[in-house]
Amino acid sequence: MPLCLSYLPIGLACGILLHAAGFNFFMTFLVSVVVFSGGAQFLIASLLTINAPLLSIVVTLFFLELRYALLGSSLSKYMRNQPQRFIWLFSVSLNDENYAINYLKFATDKNWTPRQALMVEHYSLISWALANLVGSLVGSAISINLEIVDFALTALFLYMIVMQVRNRLTLIIGLLSAVLAAVCLVATKSTIGIIISTLLASFVGFFIESRLRHTNTKAEKWMFGKVRGPAMTRKTIEEKNES
Amino acid sequence: MDNLLLSAPVIAQSVTSTMDSWDHLLLIALAAVAAFIPRYFPMRFFTKREIPEWFNEWMKYVPVSLFTALVVKGIFIDTATYSFHLFGHVNQIIAAVIVIIVTYMTRSMALSVLAGLAAVAIITFMM
Repeated sequence: MPLCLSYLPIGLACGILLHAAGFNFFMTFLVSVVVFSGGAQFLIASLLTINAPLLSIVVTLFFLELRYALLGSSLSKYMRNQPQRFIWLFSVSLNDENYAINYLKFATDKNWTPRQALMVEHYSLISWALANLVGSLVGSAISINLEIVDFALTALFLYMIVMQVRNRLTLIIGLLSAVLAAVCLVATKSTIGIIISTLLASFVGFFIESRLRHTNTKAEKWMFGKVRGPAMTRKTIEEKNES
Repeated sequence: MDNLLLSAPVIAQSVTSTMDSWDHLLLIALAAVAAFIPRYFPMRFFTKREIPEWFNEWMKYVPVSLFTALVVKGIFIDTATYSFHLFGHVNQIIAAVIVIIVTYMTRSMALSVLAGLAAVAIITFMM
């Protein structure tokens, strides 16, 4: 499965970083199973090394995981007839990459069942946890320049930003958030700045969107004009299905 | 020995961490809750009823805002003093551009991250 392979390098880097942050073998395994999110685990590691307060780590994590609310609710229409227990199992092993695969399958393949989707999730969870464990071992065996491995987090988020940008408004909100983040971080002198700037920027985006939706002006057309993005994002699949 | 450790910031931070294993366990437990709530509850509610429009519209902008904030923190903010340095990590800025280009061309998460790591390693080595 190519999906499982794609988890390996990032899982390795994540394991190495968690080891450097003071997590032992068992802790790394536990966190990779119960949290199962590359971004979140990188964030735990990097915030631990700068001794950020516990509460601030957890709140930042919560906002980071909020994106799954969007992913989960968009898959929910395919899960209408499933029992509660199944939805529970499915949602705990939801992840960015297996979501992309499952959404594509559900949207294009009529015979794709929720049960098969769950299998995809479980395979990806297993390969992710294994990659983390190997990374943890590698991290204890050799010493690596942490600044370089730490860049994996930045690279991962850059990847997700590029995949998210679909119209000019998203791009503007991204830039606005960048400025706000710098200002808030310097002003608050702690990681709380990230949370404040995220809330501000997302509300501005929400506000502009709901304002423009109700007026049919040139500004609206420009704002929602497509930016040449990477092909076949979730949005493009949705649009194809509608047309 | 302590002074020696403190003079090497990166090493000192990982060694003189204020948390022990129990704190780590607590953190994992809280992180699991933080990971679970946004994944489970929207899915559970929206398998029963329709998704409200405002929720979707707001959620569209949360990831982009958060990711850029974290990237800015990673590249431009010195986390020891929380001061802003535009060219504090030139190696990371160049690598970030490479990551964006690779993402654009391949749409592959693994390739993008690997290219970024390779770029930052090579540039740091050359500087």
